[in-house]
Amino acid sequence: MPRDLLSVRDLTTRFFTQEGQVNAVEKVSFDVEEGEVLGIVGESGSGKSVTALSLVDLVEDPGRIVTGEINYRNSELAESASENAPDAVDGDFVDVRKLPERHRRALRGPDFATIFQDPASSLNPSLPVGEQIAEAVEVQRRASANPRSTRSRTQSYGLGKFLLGTALPGQGYLTEESKARAIELLELVGIPDPAERAEALPHEYSGGMLQRAMIAQALAGEPELLIADEPTTALDVTIQAQILDILGDIQEETGMTILLITHNLGVIARMCDRVGVMYAGEIVERGSLEDVFDNPVHPYTQGLLGSIPDLESAGGRLQPIEGNVPSLLDQEMEDRCYFADRCPNAMEECLEKPPEFPGPGSPDHAAKCYLADHPYEPEQALPEDYFDDESSDTTVGRDDGKDDASGEGVSADD
Amino acid sequence: MTESLLEVRDLEKHFYERDTLVDRALGGEPVSIQAVDGVSFDVREGETLGLVGESGCGKSTCGETLLRLQDPTGGTVRFDGEDVLDLSGDDLRSFRRNAQVVFQDPFSSLDPRMTVGATVRQPLDVHSVGTKAERTERVCELLERVGLSSDQYDRYPHEFSGGQRQRIGIARALALEPDFIVLDEPTSALDVSVQAQILNLLSDLQDEFDLTYLLISHDLSVIRHISDRVAVMYLGELVEVGPVADIFESPKHPYTQALLESVPRASTDERDREIETLSGDVPSPRNPPSGCRFRTRCPSVIPPEDVTIDQREYRQIMDVRERIESREVDLDSAWEYVADEQPSSGGSSLRSLLGDDVREDPFRERHAEAFVDRLEERMLDVELSGSHAQTVRSALHELCYEDWEGAASILAEEYESVCEVVSPALQDDRTHPVACHLYDQPDSVTANVADADVSAPVGDTVRTDGAESD
Repeated sequence: MPRDLLSVRDLTTRFFTQEGQVNAVEKVSFDVEEGEVLGIVGESGSGKSVTALSLVDLVEDPGRIVTGEINYRNSELAESASENAPDAVDGDFVDVRKLPERHRRALRGPDFATIFQDPASSLNPSLPVGEQIAEAVEVQRRASANPRSTRSRTQSYGLGKFLLGTALPGQGYLTEESKARAIELLELVGIPDPAERAEALPHEYSGGMLQRAMIAQALAGEPELLIADEPTTALDVTIQAQILDILGDIQEETGMTILLITHNLGVIARMCDRVGVMYAGEIVERGSLEDVFDNPVHPYTQGLLGSIPDLESAGGRLQPIEGNVPSLLDQEMEDRCYFADRCPNAMEECLEKPPEFPGPGSPDHAAKCYLADHPYEPEQALPEDYFDDESSDTTVGRDDGKDDASGEGVSADD
Repeated sequence: MTESLLEVRDLEKHFYERDTLVDRALGGEPVSIQAVDGVSFDVREGETLGLVGESGCGKSTCGETLLRLQDPTGGTVRFDGEDVLDLSGDDLRSFRRNAQVVFQDPFSSLDPRMTVGATVRQPLDVHSVGTKAERTERVCELLERVGLSSDQYDRYPHEFSGGQRQRIGIARALALEPDFIVLDEPTSALDVSVQAQILNLLSDLQDEFDLTYLLISHDLSVIRHISDRVAVMYLGELVEVGPVADIFESPKHPYTQALLESVPRASTDERDREIETLSGDVPSPRNPPSGCRFRTRCPSVIPPEDVTIDQREYRQIMDVRERIESREVDLDSAWEYVADEQPSSGGSSLRSLLGDDVREDPFRERHAEAFVDRLEERMLDVELSGSHAQTVRSALHELCYEDWEGAASILAEEYESVCEVVSPALQDDRTHPVACHLYDQPDSVTANVADADVSAPVGDTVRTDGAESD
């Protein structure tokens, strides 16, 4: 029986923008088992990236994690935390959010590592790639020498530092060992001639190579959990296949746990053991890959699967989900199922927020939809124009305009 | 067979870098980027031709060039019998009415300071169609047709979502009742649920207005869904053209095969599907490979006829050759490794160990074997058999003396492939032509093969079954 590595409960992240409060992530709960690949899939603005950022405490202003627990299993950490933050500890689990800021920061790297979508903007363009990876190694080396302290782990860049480093070569931040380890890591992710490529600047790398370098950097800390946020979205399919291969191989070799966030259902199908589907800040359906892909309960999951053109057969007409992604502005969100206005099977009870019902599949399978509990009742159906009235106060166009404005604040990455 | 609406022949668009007056005055050679390099295809009336390829392969440039949004550097484009590249004045205006375009990015392709109504009306204004009232009415009609409402006439683009903006772009393209529309990645910026809406809209409009589409996309599932025929592009050239079912069910070109294999399917069987990933990256269009441009990554690259070799070993040797020819082998680190292994030399720097005269250097002489071993270990993933291992070792041995050319020529002599010497071409007379030496090539190409004194296994079916179905 695999144990949970991470157990997230009621995570809620909001952005307090000028237009109002944006509920980007709303009471999201999920568990990540040790050694698995958990996928989170959703469209732009569904809150999947913000969920990832919340886990590593990198949500930027005006965003804030409002409530929720992020319980992380690490007995060593639990022991050391029990002294100065006893209320964060529960057995082997530590609620990361209750740790002091500097301890939380120290988790990044050796415990949680992240790969972002756009490798070109995630690396410093003016430093050799190898040096940037060596820095991550160095941080990790110093961290294990002096655990749970962040002092003197990171290096600052400036003219003074540069001159000092040039005048007194012994003052360099990086040691030979961390440089050698960086080259090993580059080799591990399949960069040919790593010793030479380590000296190259990011612009001399192609997109696929940069993403490999990013993976190498993330692996520097030998993390327990790798959070991969759209790791292949910026890449061509042939390169995407290479990167997925590498991630899969590394996962198999090291038994690392991966949280994979993507909008691409094909990538999910290739990589993941279990899947959560996000819509409007909530996980609307979760379960094993088979539950979600073969027996989806939630009409949104069904719609998502139905709207992908099939590569294997010519197929007829696509079945799109009508309408647009809803606004996440608090004042425009009603207390109902957020998908009801686009749902082909909306019923009267959908005007009340559905709790999570167990699904028909594996024990993990669950969906926030009344249809998981009982079948569709046509006589209960909402009239087709039910939501039209609502939007006539604020016309469709304007509605969307606001949606976009908030969407930009929520997820600039999409 | 229906008539061709658009005939593109040998279309070529090269961009030049370092080509300013100052550069010329300083005597610099301009660097050409061969974005589109001799592309020929037809688009038949009423069909959708899908043009698919990875980023940087020149597919968008191809679309823009044939609409004369960019001037080509060579080739001809005939639209409805007329030579597009010769048009000027009124003829050019009427061509522009008939051939429209929808761009990828719905955020930057609409003027943020123009209302939606004005945006859609602009082509009507420019071509002075009807009276002002008629134009406005037509715009309202168009907005309704693409699934917006005519109440939204006075709104600005920022008030719309991505999918709605793409609808505005489509309405604008339809305004002049064109025959032909270039759809340049029309759904790439959209989410899948909205993408499906737009794809359905596009196919409805095609039926309703008898439109001919050239759909440019990198997304193979979109291409499969709405194309009738497909052209596959790689590094500025077409590698394969054919009916959609043929391309997807029996792809011929090794690139098309690899491309299709790489796409992850959204189904639960996906995890067990074995895929052979392509090695390496797309080469730079500044200096494309000679012969077949895919040969640097091709798993089926053709060995010379007199060489018996396992295909994987041959691929490996070709990769080694490539690295030696581009001098991308780190010799110093190999020497360093060798030096570190020697207990006697510990501590002394590499430069002091290696003499200046490479051929007469005792250190190099003494440790040549160890050096070659190290390079072999670093560069080869596949173990080579017998004589091939010998040949590669003798080439690597030349690198001891930093003789790159010597090393390259040893390998080139033994392993020169037809793929690098002669460019394959699409056969004209086929419904499913493919530019690859694995298949029957046109006479002009086979003549070149004979001249070059290398032999292609013409008509051979090395990898694909039923290759000669047409």
